[in-house]
Amino acid sequence: MAEEFNPEDVKQTCESYVKKKGALAFGLANIETLDRIAPEGCRPADMLPKVRSVLTVGVGGGTRGSWSADAKTLAYIGDTETMAYRIAYGLAFYIEAKFGYRSIFVPPDMNPEKGARVPMQSLKLHAEVAGIGARSMAGDILLHPEYGMMYYASVFTEMELPPDEPMADNPCPHPSCVKLYRQSGQTPCMRFCPVECLSGSIGNDDKVEEMNYDSHACAEMSQQYEAIPSVLLDTLDAKDPIERGMALHGPENQVIWYKLSIGAGELLSLCYECMRVCPITQTAPMANPVARGAGMRQKVIEAEAAARAEQAAEKGE
Amino acid sequence: MAYGVTQQMIDTFGEIVFKLSLNKQTRRGDPVRELDFAAIETTRAETGLTDEEIAERIGLLPEQVGVVRVFTERKYHKIDQHRRIFHLGGGKRWKKEDYRSPAERLQFREEAMKLRESINFKPELVARYIEDGYWINETLNGWLCDHAENTPDKTAILHPGGDVTYQELKSQVDHLTNGLMSLGLMKGDVVAVQLPNTLDFVVSYLAITAFGGVMQTIHMPYRDADIEFFLDHAQARAVICLPAFKDFPTAEVMLTMKEKLGALEHVITIGDTAPEGSLSLNDLKIEGTPKIENPPVGSDPFLLLYTSGTTSNPKGVPLTYQNMMSNARVSVAEFEMTADDRNLSAAPFSHLYGLFNLHVALSAGATNVLLPAFSPPDLAKLVEQTKATTLFLGPAHATAMINAGLMEAHDFSSVRFSVFSGAACPAQMMEDYRAKIPGTVISQLWGMTETAGATYCRYNDAADVPLRSAGRASPGDEVRVVSAEDGTPLPADTEGELQVRGCSVFPGYLNNLEANADAFTEDGWFRTGDLATIDEAGNLSITGRTKDVINRGGVKFNPADIEDLIILHPGVEMAAIVPVPDPALGEKACCFITLLGDDSVSLDDLCALLDEKKVAKNKWPERLEIVDEMPLTPTRKVIKGKLIKRL
Ligand code: SF4
Ligand code: SF4
Repeated sequence: MAEEFNPEDVKQTCESYVKKKGALAFGLANIETLDRIAPEGCRPADMLPKVRSVLTVGVGGGTRGSWSADAKTLAYIGDTETMAYRIAYGLAFYIEAKFGYRSIFVPPDMNPEKGARVPMQSLKLHAEVAGIGARSMAGDILLHPEYGMMYYASVFTEMELPPDEPMADNPCPHPSCVKLYRQSGQTPCMRFCPVECLSGSIGNDDKVEEMNYDSHACAEMSQQYEAIPSVLLDTLDAKDPIERGMALHGPENQVIWYKLSIGAGELLSLCYECMRVCPITQTAPMANPVARGAGMRQKVIEAEAAARAEQAAEKGE
Repeated sequence: MAYGVTQQMIDTFGEIVFKLSLNKQTRRGDPVRELDFAAIETTRAETGLTDEEIAERIGLLPEQVGVVRVFTERKYHKIDQHRRIFHLGGGKRWKKEDYRSPAERLQFREEAMKLRESINFKPELVARYIEDGYWINETLNGWLCDHAENTPDKTAILHPGGDVTYQELKSQVDHLTNGLMSLGLMKGDVVAVQLPNTLDFVVSYLAITAFGGVMQTIHMPYRDADIEFFLDHAQARAVICLPAFKDFPTAEVMLTMKEKLGALEHVITIGDTAPEGSLSLNDLKIEGTPKIENPPVGSDPFLLLYTSGTTSNPKGVPLTYQNMMSNARVSVAEFEMTADDRNLSAAPFSHLYGLFNLHVALSAGATNVLLPAFSPPDLAKLVEQTKATTLFLGPAHATAMINAGLMEAHDFSSVRFSVFSGAACPAQMMEDYRAKIPGTVISQLWGMTETAGATYCRYNDAADVPLRSAGRASPGDEVRVVSAEDGTPLPADTEGELQVRGCSVFPGYLNNLEANADAFTEDGWFRTGDLATIDEAGNLSITGRTKDVINRGGVKFNPADIEDLIILHPGVEMAAIVPVPDPALGEKACCFITLLGDDSVSLDDLCALLDEKKVAKNKWPERLEIVDEMPLTPTRKVIKGKLIKRL
């Protein structure tokens, strides 16, 4: 007899799968909600017409060491997004193999035809609607009260599973940030952003009133693919051979060609200075990978103990 | 332009497109998490729209929005932004007030770039100097900082006003550096200095070079016409001088120059009260350690000296730290100079020789004894008072002291090492000098503004070497004698044209393509214009000159300029100035003239004319010969050799 399809159990199975693979958080976003928010062309059905569920996974940020590394190093190692992608890719295969529903790993890429930094699908929106992150003062980077900053990846599937709700509360701004804001008019992330791309205000209810993010400034510092056309135009506009040579070979630009020549998909992704000073990123209970490791071990110990107890019960001990 | 977009369209819609796009995002409250769809809708434009949404809203095609957007993004693009990532982190928090992009920090004026363009060494030679350790990344201020840190209480300067330790010198230099930078002076700017060998000179020199400035020296006897030429040619931005020197109203003249010359912005005078229109050097000083964003490095030019040549105007000789510091550093060991020495330069610091000596002493961390103005008794007294151990002087200085009996009248026993340079050194004079200081070692040094201290006798050379030669090439330098006809190197002890190559040799004249084309051989040898022989051991003896220059006590000048002025005299038809040997000065100028009419012309008449033309006194002829006819070449050039033979 065919196994009865129990959406809650299947959802639980998927969650176990991704967590075993190293994800910290898992959730499902409500497609109707996404359709109401995402612009035309960027909705789940625009990519997978018969999509019934949007699954999203979050993996933890960099190691403790990475937060104390210099900025250039952190810019390269601070992101763990490929870990999230790998897990989501696996999840898509897993669903097809185990449950027989068509699934896709949602490409995390931009759709430049749509505009500046417009993604094909907003992974951020999926994660937020699925309740595994809330928008922060730091350019809407999602934060989680338990895991701090995470990287996210999504899977679209034709299998229908029950969606989750967005988080009930937003951990940002952290109480210490509110205090600093009251004193200085700035939160830590605003204050330490090197290109001053963050500003905003906190209301009397200690919640974000307004968040302003100059993503052009943030991206042109850290996302170097943005700079390539400008570098080429600067080269054409250069007024002498030295300036022309510098436009192409200057140390700040050479890294672009280096990354291109070794075929690395990831250029620098963020400068992370806002996250380096963010109390949530730095002090959330499971934000620390060491603590996470301990937490995991604890869970394994508990699970093994439970399994032993179960076996013992079965044997009637 | 693409899709019917015009520049006007970009200008018109650029800002609103940029604002509506995801380039700028504003979120009010937390509407997505709270699923407040009404708020999401009303603030959609603030959170960032796609090009299609923007197109719909402002009435362009989406493709047109794309074009307008990318051109506007480019307008806001700062190519330097992502450089900031190199300056962050590592536990240090980012402070925007601490960050200045390299493009802002490392600025040079156009004039400074011109000067830098004249730094033109042969790459293969540079590689050798660096690989062999002659050229390193050292600066004058680097030395000062080292001494101030390692031997803070050691006396750096002994001057008529007292003594100054290295730490005190560093702080005086810091304060003046702050002051000069507060005037807007920046790296690469030329600051001219017309000062005697005083503490103010040393502090000014170190302060100018501390922020990366280039010091131009102007010899003390120079007057209006020369000064104008020097300041203009160097594009000096500031000048540091005395309010007045003897009968010369220095500050007044410099202020006139400020009016005349576009580049000259500041006249700074020594002392507490500055003549109107000038700044007081003392008032300029600002306490604190200077914050230098564009610091000098070893390869930078830091000195701009001028030399006379065969062309009608003096030539600017830019010198880099690597040129001069390497020359001084390697010479310390050859002279066996140590930090315990008290060094006295009788030569003015406005000359290469005086500066070379100052550098050697600074490199050793020795004490510099300052003699503001040479007079035989002052020099003799200072040696005795300060117990100077090393003395750098010219033959004229020594001759004057010997003739006046001053070396017997004063105690010279402290002087363990004496170096002679600047003019031909008669062996008899040097022997007499040595005889008066038992135990002293004498040395002869040969150099030019273009070569620095190129050859010299070592401290441990045999006693006869300095009597007959100016020693061997300084480490890192090479000397050779070549045939004047075909440039082939000549065997030992054969007279020929002297050429020099090496780490101390200048990189080329400032803004003087013509002179540069002649100055060097293909393989980088500098044609000195001097005639010389080199013995088997490599010791150099200067025997004459291929170029027409008078060397009066170390002050070299081209007589052509003076001749041009003398023929302005109504009674003079032709004029030719030649050197005449002089026991004290090495050479003096003798002027041959032919007359136009029957009226005679006296030496006084000519000197009065030169005085009127504001020519420095040390260029005036000191002897006049009236001849009926000048010996001329077929092209009517005076054959000066024939005139010299008549003397
Ligand atoms: S990643 Fe860097 S540039 Fe971007 S918002 Fe954070 S601090 Fe600012
Ligand atoms: S530092 Fe972190 S918690 Fe504080 S306001 Fe910024 S993003 Fe929010």
